[in-house]
Amino acid sequence: MIHIDRIVEGTIVVTAVKGRLDSSSSPKLEEFLAGAPNEGTILLDFAELTYISSAGLRVVLKATKLVRGAGGTLAVCGLVPQVHEVFDVSGFSSLIPIHTSREAALATMT
Amino acid sequence: MTDIEFDLRLPNDVTQLDRLSTRIEAYARAAGIAAKPAYRLQLAVDEFFNNAVDYGYPDGRAGEIAIHVRRAGDRLELVFSDDGDPFDPFAAPAPDLAGTVEERPIGGLGVHLVRTLCDSFAYAREGNRNVKRLTFSLAA
Repeated sequence: MIHIDRIVEGTIVVTAVKGRLDSSSSPKLEEFLAGAPNEGTILLDFAELTYISSAGLRVVLKATKLVRGAGGTLAVCGLVPQVHEVFDVSGFSSLIPIHTSREAALATMT
Repeated sequence: MTDIEFDLRLPNDVTQLDRLSTRIEAYARAAGIAAKPAYRLQLAVDEFFNNAVDYGYPDGRAGEIAIHVRRAGDRLELVFSDDGDPFDPFAAPAPDLAGTVEERPIGGLGVHLVRTLCDSFAYAREGNRNVKRLTFSLAA
């Protein structure tokens, strides 16, 4: 249901999530991101994320809190229109930087 | 196109979520529903299912959750019912979406997303069941 890849791009750690983030799959991302606060700058690449529910948002918010609490930065990129809508309606769009693509994000964050 | 209906009854068991999501996806595809309303339907069913399973049966009893979807003209009608304890999700106040990351509580967003993304919503306690009726515009 979900596939997670970790790619290091210079000083930025890209976590690419593919599939669906619901209550059944989001614990996997939560576990994956548990070490994120130590990594400084995190980019969640959601270009191949087809679905997110409140359970997925919860994991994104938790990771954001952890990373910022440790003095780091977290951003997301590549939201498909329906996932973007969920970010907008939940108010996350004003909390977390959203970039159109990984390339755009890396150019801004580096 | 004639109306296409979807009917599914499930036990109140969290392991049923993947099966439920797969069935709803297949229905949306077969009924030719555009990506936007299909996503909103999927989200409503997912959030309600999780809430019913997590909070509706605090004594751990076995229950039955029923989902009925009907494509009618330019809209999609969802009837979601469960035999859990009485609970009207729409009576809760909307969460506070302002504030910083540090201030935002983790959780409490599901019902807010559903009620914001549907066109109409209603709750009724009918016999021993919580019944929620929602409609979604089929416009893409």
